[in-house]
Amino acid sequence: MSVNTLLMSTSARLRDRRVHLERRATASKAVRTSLVSLAGLIGGPVTNQAGDEVGRVVDVVARLYGADSYPPVTGLIMRIGRRRTFLAADAISKVNAGQVRLRTARVDLRDFVRRPGEVLLSKDVLDHQLVDVDGVQVTRAADLYLAPLVDKVVLVGVDVSLPTLLRRLGPRRWQARPTPERVLDWQAIAPFAEQATEGPAEVRLRASRAALHRLRPADLADILEDLGRNERQQLLDWLEPEQAADALEEMEPAELENLLREAAPEHAARLVDEMEPDEATDALRDLAPEEREALLRRMPKSEAAELRRLLTHREGTAGGAMTTLLVTARQDETVAEVRGRLAEQAEHRTEIDAVVVVDAKGHVLCDISLFDLAVADDTASVADVVAWLGQFGPPVVVRPDIGLAEAANQLVAARASSLLVVDDTDRAIGRILADDLLDAMLPERGRLHFRRFLQ
Amino acid sequence: MTRDPDTTTEPTAPAAAPVRRTGWRRITMVAAIAGPGLVAANAGNDAAGIATYASAGSQFVYGTLFFMVLVTIALVMVQEMAVRLGAHTGKGLGALIREQFSLRLTGLAVFCLLLANTGLVVSEFAGIGAAFELLGIPKWAVIPPAAILLWALVLFGSYHWAERIFLIMSLAFFAYPIAMILGHPDWGAVGHHLIVPHMEPHKDFILLAVALIGTTVSPYMQFYAAAGVVDRGAKPADYPLIRTDAILGAVFACVISLTIIIATASAIGGTGPLDSAAQAAEALKPVAGQNAELLFALGLIGASALAGAVVPLSASYAVGEAAGVERSVSRSFRDAPLFLGLFTAQIVLGATVAMTPVDVIQLLIGTQVLQGLISPIVLVYLLVLTNRRSVLGDAANGPRYRIAATAVVVGVAAMSTILLVQTVLGWFSLA
Repeated sequence: MSVNTLLMSTSARLRDRRVHLERRATASKAVRTSLVSLAGLIGGPVTNQAGDEVGRVVDVVARLYGADSYPPVTGLIMRIGRRRTFLAADAISKVNAGQVRLRTARVDLRDFVRRPGEVLLSKDVLDHQLVDVDGVQVTRAADLYLAPLVDKVVLVGVDVSLPTLLRRLGPRRWQARPTPERVLDWQAIAPFAEQATEGPAEVRLRASRAALHRLRPADLADILEDLGRNERQQLLDWLEPEQAADALEEMEPAELENLLREAAPEHAARLVDEMEPDEATDALRDLAPEEREALLRRMPKSEAAELRRLLTHREGTAGGAMTTLLVTARQDETVAEVRGRLAEQAEHRTEIDAVVVVDAKGHVLCDISLFDLAVADDTASVADVVAWLGQFGPPVVVRPDIGLAEAANQLVAARASSLLVVDDTDRAIGRILADDLLDAMLPERGRLHFRRFLQ
Repeated sequence: MTRDPDTTTEPTAPAAAPVRRTGWRRITMVAAIAGPGLVAANAGNDAAGIATYASAGSQFVYGTLFFMVLVTIALVMVQEMAVRLGAHTGKGLGALIREQFSLRLTGLAVFCLLLANTGLVVSEFAGIGAAFELLGIPKWAVIPPAAILLWALVLFGSYHWAERIFLIMSLAFFAYPIAMILGHPDWGAVGHHLIVPHMEPHKDFILLAVALIGTTVSPYMQFYAAAGVVDRGAKPADYPLIRTDAILGAVFACVISLTIIIATASAIGGTGPLDSAAQAAEALKPVAGQNAELLFALGLIGASALAGAVVPLSASYAVGEAAGVERSVSRSFRDAPLFLGLFTAQIVLGATVAMTPVDVIQLLIGTQVLQGLISPIVLVYLLVLTNRRSVLGDAANGPRYRIAATAVVVGVAAMSTILLVQTVLGWFSLA
């Protein structure tokens, strides 16, 4: 039930955010009345100065991936008779609801050639998938709103509401009337236009793309699960491999399996390589042997060897769920030195829970939790801490072949947040973390996927 | 990592490395041959399908067999096109239609799908009602609780277990092939009618032919097939396997349909239109003897309940996909008002119409005629999409395939048009 409550509060939060966004997008009434609906504009008349109809609007061209925060309209594609022609934005005098008025009397007939960053708004963006970065969800554009400014027309918002779809289904005169009930500010959108990514790489990361990079891995995982195949690979390309890998770790296993299968093997291998070893092992386990081999072959040798070793442990055992990332210390080191080495491992901060102390032969002596390390004096030696911790008895360790339920029992009994996994010779081979145990033991969380009904 | 309960096998399996996958893979390997076929056969073998095939057998004996062969070819081509779209674009049909057609045409497709599927839901509840009437329980006492139960099972997420029970119950219909052999049909006549074209120009035959098209090539099957392929994350590289799946599945489904027609024909063939579920159960007598009605009822309940949940779900999903809100379902079913509304509306409407005191068999066949009339419209979308190189690239229909597929669609449309014209003329008593 608590999961549901969480979902409800999340959706409430999203709604609030949406209301806020709407206010931002349609801040003043003046803006609202001057908004031009793209759906209403398509098929509308293009008139010359005298008000005579010259042709009809087929599509609107905008430069999505430029330096501007709101994409400027760079031209129109219009139909004159049976011919399609491109009309540059400087020939447009005014864009009104449902119609365009030209500045000049005569029109050059020329074909549309896509320039870098340009997209056809109706063909490539309208009715296609978008990521709403603020609301953290994938949606489909029901309408786009243009705002005519003094010297240019810009794309300001995306309408994602169902009533807008009904409006577009209705008679022609409804079309031009903007109904911005649920408008998302363009700044909060990451669009996927198939043609649109050909622009120079440095301008691709617009504000919303930057916002994508601020998303939590779990949110990003949700978005990845929701996107179509091409869109998903595009989004992955935009992300740094480390960030993408973090998101992949949060994905549903079945979705992750699909994603890795779809991606180019080099790219997939890179992503798996960036994932934490335990998560990477889980992901690889879900693939067919030949697919798994294909990825492992493309990884650096040492990483591949480690993953192969992890793969020999069975799923559902401590060995199958553990991470092999261990920070080890010797007795003669000082606490400050150990802290220093921990600081170097900042990128793995979620995987490190304690420091293993080993003797000269590599046998486990003690497992020092981060708390104990934090309260110890800088100058104290590791041996001192070990001696102090000795009063609480020997460290609780588990074998790699015990079941997860048993591991959980031991974890609870030890009142720790992670357990050390040791082999037969008492050498540490990994660590099993509380969150991995929880993940394995919690029932499927509040997710209902269509696939369930298909299988 | 969370595990999908579907794919979890016992961790006691002896394999060293990927425990879950070996088990699941093995099932998938088997399923690659029989899985989709089983699903497709069960989808065809819902209440309305059984009623239609049985009616074909009782009314025209072996006369519709050749037509069923044609329908099989049509089904194979249609399913192949649907899975090709799914595999090559990674998108469901609903999303593709929204992206490739104008919103109004999308609206039309969605409307047709909803109409056809609501018809199907009606037939599923009618099937549940008919099955319980065979067991001596009146349908008004069964349909409302069944509707509420099904709705709640899906909504509160415990549908999995129910689904398995329904699936096992519906396996009762695999008694038909045995019944066909034990029923000693006239094999010579069967062979003759399978090969030699046979059409009857009168209205009853055309009506039944359209119903046969409707129940076999039902519009929702194409959406379902494409969604299934996308959900399995199939790539273009997997396409040859998927195509084999689809073709085997379609052929398998049609073979089962043929056995139902033949079994019914040899049991009660020539006794005129089917008028009760009890009569249809006669065909299973060679297998089950006195328990034929029980076996038939069991199968009917399972198949109807199975389809009764999947059909409105897949329609709601396709509509959600076209509207761009499909993914809200994966977050929380209860957070998706459109999805929930459509699903509820279809079940309520289906159950209500199924309660009307009309002849069950006629109602069942009527819903399939409706499917048959709508199916050519949906097929046109499919054909246009698979013809487009901008959608499928090199996998788009080649010139020869295009002609064949167009012929199929035109053929299906022609049957529907003839039926429509005949019906309209009938209203003015001209035919």
